[in-house]
Amino acid sequence: MSDSKRRSRGNQEESAGTSNGLGGRNRPERPGDMADEDDIGAGPSGISEEDDDPTRRREIRSKYRDLINQVQQNREDMLNPANNKLTDVLEEANKLFANVRQAREAALDAQLLVLATDLGKEKASQLHAEGSAFDPSAFAEHLLSFMGLNRLEDESGQDGNLEGYLPQGAWQRLAKRSEYCFKTAPSFHYMLGSFLAEPPPPRQRVERQRKVPSKEAKRIMPTQLKKMEESHQEATEKEVERILGCLQSYFADDSEEPISYYEFVIDPNSFSRTVENIFHTSFLIRDGLVRMYMDTDGLPCIAPVEEGEMEPGGAVVRHQCVISINQESWREIIDAFDIKEALIPAPEVLSQ
Amino acid sequence: NKNKKKSPLWCSRSKMTGLQQIFILIKDQKKIPIRRADIGKHVIKEYKAIYIEIMNRVCRKFDQVFGLKLVEIDPKNHIYILINKLEPIHGEPVSMRPGNPKTGLLFVILSVIFMKGGVIKENLVWNTLKKLRVDPGEKHEEFGDVKKVVTDEFVRQKYLEYVKIPHTEPVEYEFRWGLRAEKEVSKLKLLKFVGELFDQDPQSWTQQFREASATETSSQRS
Repeated sequence: MSDSKRRSRGNQEESAGTSNGLGGRNRPERPGDMADEDDIGAGPSGISEEDDDPTRRREIRSKYRDLINQVQQNREDMLNPANNKLTDVLEEANKLFANVRQAREAALDAQLLVLATDLGKEKASQLHAEGSAFDPSAFAEHLLSFMGLNRLEDESGQDGNLEGYLPQGAWQRLAKRSEYCFKTAPSFHYMLGSFLAEPPPPRQRVERQRKVPSKEAKRIMPTQLKKMEESHQEATEKEVERILGCLQSYFADDSEEPISYYEFVIDPNSFSRTVENIFHTSFLIRDGLVRMYMDTDGLPCIAPVEEGEMEPGGAVVRHQCVISINQESWREIIDAFDIKEALIPAPEVLSQ
Repeated sequence: NKNKKKSPLWCSRSKMTGLQQIFILIKDQKKIPIRRADIGKHVIKEYKAIYIEIMNRVCRKFDQVFGLKLVEIDPKNHIYILINKLEPIHGEPVSMRPGNPKTGLLFVILSVIFMKGGVIKENLVWNTLKKLRVDPGEKHEEFGDVKKVVTDEFVRQKYLEYVKIPHTEPVEYEFRWGLRAEKEVSKLKLLKFVGELFDQDPQSWTQQFREASATETSSQRS
């Protein structure tokens, strides 16, 4: 219905029709726009000259715009329950409206009313007819105390003073207590994790870390490594040599008497020493410095290899076997052979 | 038997119930409400005819097995959230995990809104947070982009509503409780904690106490 009234910029012949007073417009007119349309307004036909006075109308519109600006700019002030500025504005508007004859001014009046009503609603919501007030600033202060704020000693104690600092986990502390107010469903997580692992990122990180120290450490590294390897090998070699020495010295004393393998390696006082002896002796056998053979009773015997006997390249028939021993067997052998003391004396100083 | 296989209802109901439960549980991890449309798209698909039956089963399972409630917070758009059926007992820990700091932040905002009658301008929230050393203009140690957490994350999770105030120039926003908060948060418990902080009887805030008690009673009935 109101679509019959249209306004376009160059058209001064538009008839305003019968729309006088409120009801025509939906579009809220901004103060800026109005300035442009001021001189374009077409005089609607059928309205008395007095009502059509453009100067007067301009005045009314200007006053409305002032009121609108006043309300918008001083919103906080208007909301203050201590004053009646909002009511004053409405009274002003009422006075102005008495002179309004046409839609354009009425639209401004409507705009002002909308603003004022919003403010009125907000102002009303501030009213607490009963019960204590709630001060968010005080609330904040209490929260800070709860969270364990560490106030600095020389705090002046003024409001809004941001002295002091919150300790670690302050917000967690508040969260833990607040949780009680919530009926949150616990979040779902697979207990054993998922298959979607992400290997690539860790590799990158490791690479970066390695790059940096390498330059500095290059000079130091090789010597250290050498030393380590030496000490490992050394200990074993020394021990092996020592055992060879033992065996050879026994043979030097009595080259006819075969030495039982078991009697040689077993230390009746220590099972672990026994195992070590077996281990070290195996090197001697591997390197062809010592040989193992079965005597007439079928028991293993051990003897050093004569220097002339050994042929490099292994023309000698070699056999391989795996020796195992457990504590029970160890004790059985000790009993069976009546071994009283170790033929291989324990090293005086433990290596490493 | 051939006909049975071709029928859309041949697919195992219990399997679909299970699938829907998992779907909902995973969606719930981020606390973003679940839309019925999504359930339809990813789980039910062409078996729409039995959607209601599956939904009933799912609700029952959640209720009896997990102690969870699937609540429709938006009947018009069919949006659901999962909440805990069980009330937390004071003195006993709610969960073994360390508290999520965001819960504390959310609590502060919800409290201010509630104590101030249910709607507040955004400035009140920012000013209160600033006093707690949380400045929306700066990156915070724990929360990062605070403004984003409050106006985006909490809003998407439906804990808060962040709405333009009409006719404001420049544009201003106001905060209200979101649909999730209405279902998930106990106003009475919140008021009690506020009372503890102020060392004040919660009943001294008569309007808030009245509203909190009323909400508690009605939610217990549902």
